[in-house]
Amino acid sequence: MFYKILSVWLFISLYSISYAQNSFQVKGVVVSANTLDPIVGANIIGENLWSISSTNGEFMINNTNKESCSFKVCCLGYACKMVTVRADENKDFIKIYLKQTSTNLDEVQVLAKSKERIQKENPMVSQIVSKEFLEGNRENSLMQTLSKIPGVSTITIGSGQSKPVIRGLGFNRVAVVQNGIKHEAQQWGNDHGLEIDQYGIEHIQIIKGPASLLYGSDAIAGVVNIQPNKIPLQNSFSGEVNLLGESNNDLLGVSAGITSRKDKWFYRGRITYRDYGDYKVPTDKIKYENYIFNLHNNNLRNTAGKEADASIGIGYVSNHIKSETVFSNVNAKNGFFANAHGLEVRTSTIDYDGSSRDIDLPFHKVNHFKITNNTTIEKENHTFYVDVGYQNNQREEHSEPVPHGYMPKPSTTKERLFDKSTYSLNVRDAFEFNNQHHMVLGANLEHQDNHIGGWGFLIPAYHRFTAGVFGYDQFEMNSNLHLLAGFRYDYVWLNTNAYYDWFPSTVANNNGSTSEVYLQRAQNKNLNFKSLSASLGVSYLQNNTTYKINIGRSFRMPLSNELTSNGVNYHMYRYEKGNLNLDAEISYQLDVAIDHTTKYFSVGVSPFVNIFQNYIYLNPTSNYFETLQIYEFTQSKVFRIGGEFKASTSIFKFLQLDASVEYVYSRQTSGAKEGFTLPFAPPLSALFSANYQFKNVFFFKNPQIIASYRITAAQEEIVPPEEKTEGFQVLNMSFLSKVDVFQNNNPIDIRIKLNNIFNTKYFNHTSFYRLIDVPEAGRNLSLSLTMPF
Amino acid sequence: MRFNSYNMKSVLKYFLGFTLLIISCTNDNSIDKDEEKPSITVNYEQGFPQGCAQLSRGETYSFKAKVTDNKELASYSLNIHHNFDHHTHDDQVTECDLEEIKQAINPLLIIENYAIEGELTSYEINIPITIPNDIDTGDYHCAYSVTDATGWQSRTSIDIKIIE
Repeated sequence: MFYKILSVWLFISLYSISYAQNSFQVKGVVVSANTLDPIVGANIIGENLWSISSTNGEFMINNTNKESCSFKVCCLGYACKMVTVRADENKDFIKIYLKQTSTNLDEVQVLAKSKERIQKENPMVSQIVSKEFLEGNRENSLMQTLSKIPGVSTITIGSGQSKPVIRGLGFNRVAVVQNGIKHEAQQWGNDHGLEIDQYGIEHIQIIKGPASLLYGSDAIAGVVNIQPNKIPLQNSFSGEVNLLGESNNDLLGVSAGITSRKDKWFYRGRITYRDYGDYKVPTDKIKYENYIFNLHNNNLRNTAGKEADASIGIGYVSNHIKSETVFSNVNAKNGFFANAHGLEVRTSTIDYDGSSRDIDLPFHKVNHFKITNNTTIEKENHTFYVDVGYQNNQREEHSEPVPHGYMPKPSTTKERLFDKSTYSLNVRDAFEFNNQHHMVLGANLEHQDNHIGGWGFLIPAYHRFTAGVFGYDQFEMNSNLHLLAGFRYDYVWLNTNAYYDWFPSTVANNNGSTSEVYLQRAQNKNLNFKSLSASLGVSYLQNNTTYKINIGRSFRMPLSNELTSNGVNYHMYRYEKGNLNLDAEISYQLDVAIDHTTKYFSVGVSPFVNIFQNYIYLNPTSNYFETLQIYEFTQSKVFRIGGEFKASTSIFKFLQLDASVEYVYSRQTSGAKEGFTLPFAPPLSALFSANYQFKNVFFFKNPQIIASYRITAAQEEIVPPEEKTEGFQVLNMSFLSKVDVFQNNNPIDIRIKLNNIFNTKYFNHTSFYRLIDVPEAGRNLSLSLTMPF
Repeated sequence: MRFNSYNMKSVLKYFLGFTLLIISCTNDNSIDKDEEKPSITVNYEQGFPQGCAQLSRGETYSFKAKVTDNKELASYSLNIHHNFDHHTHDDQVTECDLEEIKQAINPLLIIENYAIEGELTSYEINIPITIPNDIDTGDYHCAYSVTDATGWQSRTSIDIKIIE
């Protein structure tokens, strides 16, 4: 290392010893920065000079009559590089390293229209999230990273897990799609987090609005669409290693990925491992109702976790066919806060404070295995897309066994087991018609198998088969005016399995005597649902302004627990009662988006109005079942209105200012909780950020400092059993730079981030631990390095 | 700055209109929402059991707690279960001495729910319970809960001991 630094220093020093020379000759070689192999046929172009590299990559430029000469070295498949050679340079042979660039074939195909342009022309209100955004804003979990996007928030479960929320709706009302296949796990669960490796993702499309037309049930509030990665260029090889360390939960994370392609075959692989301890909160005691939990070293005891992910993709690409198969596995284990499980206060003989890194009871572990295949076949003016997927989600929840109600002490810690397999097949045909109509016809088939185990019961075992057909037309009325209209029809067969308690309960008979009965918690039922979805939208582009208006009807099939379960959730002190009369949830939404972008300034507003005809709501009643409050699944009408506003300016080259505001107002307009809001309603929130770009210093390239300040209002709108949450202000700072110590190498991306600078104690209304008065994480310093090779 | 001021104005106009729409919708006070939980306490003279109370087998006790609500009380429950495994502790001020952890053989288990009739805003729970002679002695938990008509719930729990 020392010698390398010395040689860099010497190299720089030699520059400064200068003397004039009238004419000189430049000799050199062009090599690939990735493989160090010589590059043949690279163009070397400068003012009055031209050359091309030979078979061994060498080139020569004669009779340069200036003190220095500059030229550009370019070759197909590599990024161009500007090189300046001074006559006084004591080097007779220069080496030029070209970096390989990987470009998606998609982008080659759509040369006429950029991704941005296509996005603008599509009337659906959506947002593209790039790899750069993900890397610059990376938090502990994918949804925490995405929550910086106005209109997107997250329900966090501790420091390492989160689930998506779009405009205040989450759980099964947001579809997460990866490689064209809907991610299927136990999304309905309060303490379930998204099982997706957040490294190695290049593009995410977020649809903030009803998207059942394209994605069927569950896409009623929006979609987080993790798109397949770009296909690498021919004869390329690239890779990267990401390292992450965090101070708050002593996290260590490493992720490494490679991508390669010979001619037609390509492959990629990635492994990720993360291990973290209990996270720290800026308080030494938690006061929940009349209880006080003293925290050891501010650690929220037993919230440690670990995650190991791996994925491999193999693909083939030729002129008319493109196919990639991806195998991935996500395995995670997370502890839950030890002093209260759900709302239930627990004491234990487990020495939780002995180590902040061990994961004791209660904890959950999950394994999500997924195979997806995406195939595209082009034939004349038709493009056929086939997405096939198989996924298995195995989830276990463990807690210390204690007797509850009539249930004696169970013999194991395995409280709940879910084993869910999902098979998916999506086909669609996209074709042009009259050069003005871009039409898509498609069908989706999905089969789900959900098995349960363990001594607790919340959701019955079930089989579900869904079939949907759809078609839409994007009509280009003129180059600036696009109309999109589409219909979809879905049919669902749901078959739930009966479930009986494994222990008897005492039940009072009519004659005053009592019986010991194995209570039935779920019934054998065959249920059918059908629904029509539709969408109609217009997009109009006027110079720098884009106008979009979209109206849609979306649906969500009731889940098996919503329909048939009569489960006792001891940790939440509630008895959850299903309702066989539930209909498919129907939502109508009007979206408007106006975006105005100029070189120095951009402003956008995206309001929406939404009406649910029959929102499925777990209503806390005033009745009891065996001393547990009965929560009943009911349907009510809901009215929602809200939207996002964002503005950004870069008047000065080195300074960019961004501001965004998001707000949702929701009201139940019928039913038992008429006048109340919906659970987990995100409060009014604004995010201000300033990005200051410095000049290059030493080997820091493009160094920048970003300060982001979040101001969130109090949430006074609550529904039982929620608590009102005070507003808060949090300041985060980060420093980003590329470090290019050795110019022949790819620069290293470095990011230093300080979250919650003032160690502010604040509560997040949509956090899983909010109900037991646990504040959000305290100050956190993180260091992340991305090293490409 | 080089942005088109006409477009800018129209965008601002939309945003203003949108804001006004939200504000106008937020101010609906047509429905009087109940946002208050009921309260429950045994911390008054007749409240029973008090923290760390010792109850004898064969005796009959009146379990008493005061419940109040701003609007309308609905139901209450009483749950007495053993704490031989020390799985939890109560929310009272005093901390009780617990016996050694032991296995339950024939523990006392009371699981009862009651409705509060009439639109009452305050009520005294009063449940007479005779402690059977054949149940295990040791540490127990006594948990009360109450709901109001809206569906808000409050709970309180007390560590007690059942002795010979």
